[in-house]
Amino acid sequence: MIPLARKTLIHDWRRFLPAMLAVAFSGLLLLMQAALVFGIFGATAVYITASSASVWVGYPGTQSIELGRPIGPEARTALLMDPDVSRVEPFAWVGADWRGPAGTGGQSVFVSGIDTRAHGMIFADALTPAQRAALATPFAVIVDRGDLAKLGVPVGGRALINGDLVRIVGTARGIRALGGVNVVASLATARRLSVDGGDGPEVAYYVAQVKPGVDPSVVAARINAGAHGYAAWTAASFARRAVFYWMFETGAGLGVIFLATVVFIVGAIITSQTLMGAIAGSVREYATLHALGVGLGPLRRVVLEQAAWIGVCGLVAGVVLSFGLIGLASWQDVPVAVNVPVWIACAALVMGIALVSGAAAVRVLQRADPALLLR
Amino acid sequence: MSALVASDLAMGYTSGKLRIEVLRGLSLAVEAAQLTLIAGPSGCGKSTLLSILSGLQRPDAGRVVALDEDLFAGDRRARDRFRLQHTGFVFQGFNLFPALTALEQVMLPLGYMGIADREAAARSRATLEEVGLGERMQLLPAELSGGEKQRVAIARALVKQPQLLFADEPTSALDAANGQIVIDTLRRIAHGHGTTVLCVSHDPRLVGHADRVLEMEDGVILDDRRPAAGEGAA
Repeated sequence: MIPLARKTLIHDWRRFLPAMLAVAFSGLLLLMQAALVFGIFGATAVYITASSASVWVGYPGTQSIELGRPIGPEARTALLMDPDVSRVEPFAWVGADWRGPAGTGGQSVFVSGIDTRAHGMIFADALTPAQRAALATPFAVIVDRGDLAKLGVPVGGRALINGDLVRIVGTARGIRALGGVNVVASLATARRLSVDGGDGPEVAYYVAQVKPGVDPSVVAARINAGAHGYAAWTAASFARRAVFYWMFETGAGLGVIFLATVVFIVGAIITSQTLMGAIAGSVREYATLHALGVGLGPLRRVVLEQAAWIGVCGLVAGVVLSFGLIGLASWQDVPVAVNVPVWIACAALVMGIALVSGAAAVRVLQRADPALLLR
Repeated sequence: MSALVASDLAMGYTSGKLRIEVLRGLSLAVEAAQLTLIAGPSGCGKSTLLSILSGLQRPDAGRVVALDEDLFAGDRRARDRFRLQHTGFVFQGFNLFPALTALEQVMLPLGYMGIADREAAARSRATLEEVGLGERMQLLPAELSGGEKQRVAIARALVKQPQLLFADEPTSALDAANGQIVIDTLRRIAHGHGTTVLCVSHDPRLVGHADRVLEMEDGVILDDRRPAAGEGAA
């Protein structure tokens, strides 16, 4: 069988190039907006994703980390008693008010109180052991380097949190929050900074690591079975909860769906128009094949095969472009995040654009009426 | 023996308020293994007649029996199948795919007939050699002359070994020498392969070479003559 679709694509590549580019840029747009949204809203789960804990225990029904309520020490006991839990660590979370030098005004900040020992789980991926050690000094704090300008204080500078004087002892990467500034401190500092002066059990979460080879979801389910006044999640599901809560709380989730629909429609229109033009240019040849007895079905398959190849080529080009752009974005500290399901969803949408365009372009073949060749 | 029998064909078009009758009760029997020419001025209905006789277009009235099969008894698909199995076409424009070499153009319809690549290639090579393009079969249409392109188109129609070959003005885009080659080829196909060749043309060069010439005007056949044997033989 002569591969008519492929031979024509290669021979007339200039004619099909706009369609391929439309597909590639549609894919790039779909992926970049998903990467940006997940990057921005991924910040709401940064506590979870930058930490090495695999099970989180907090107030029942907590949708996102900043909505946590204090929980009692019995949650810690439950974790410690679980046979598959290897380590448990408290995590304090305090909403607070930051006052920098005159002229910078106030800032809402989120103070995280963490275990400052070298093997601490919270922010294990964002802080070095030396930085953790530095936090052990009372009222020492660390912020994301991207937040320094907003806070108006350099490293080594001082500011007030809820009226207490703190000092910035360093900066880290990848701990930016959404709608405020993350300030990392020791558990003791966080307790002292809380409004009530640290009398209560101001611990919002306990986090735990499970023994090697143990599925965290099994442990979480076991904790939940006997839980009263607290609940357990795996790190992955708690992170997903936080991201989706914020996405739909802010309307960004619907925005993503809306924009993806627009990109899909625009991509499909451009691609189908290009395909239609290419087919219209060969309509006499198709009509001749039809005269020779080749049915419309096999001719439609030629068009759909061309559309599928355009999709594949556009997809490859889109992936290359996306890798470049995502690399550039992360280098410039633009929040972008992609994962395998996002890649797969974008690839599926891109192939969808190509095939929908092919299906639309097939209509041009109706013009391949051989009787026209006889006039 | 008649390979193609048409009876009481009528066909008309409505253009605005005007009704134009292209064929008016035309009947015709085309004999097998002959080169039959339908000649006539443009607009006399000869192309419409060809498209009906080949099953491309359904007439308003009348019947066509091709190879003992009622062409319009079945649906469009049945006619597609009939054409795939039994007919070849040569058009005024060569209508070759720009991306395919001469050999691939000829192999293409065989693939749709379910013939394996190896056999299709062998048959296509033989057919291209028969039309004198043995040396040129790896070239794209852009690299071929008009006459060579028309010979590729003839090979593409002929490779299917059709019982019926329809040709519409096959020489009108060609110069004298190339026109002569095409005429000789069509005649050889009729006599050598036993194919029924029905050709529509107003090219006077073809008249002398046809076994039978039907003169058409205003939707009817005015004259039916058989030039003396050998008169224009190549």
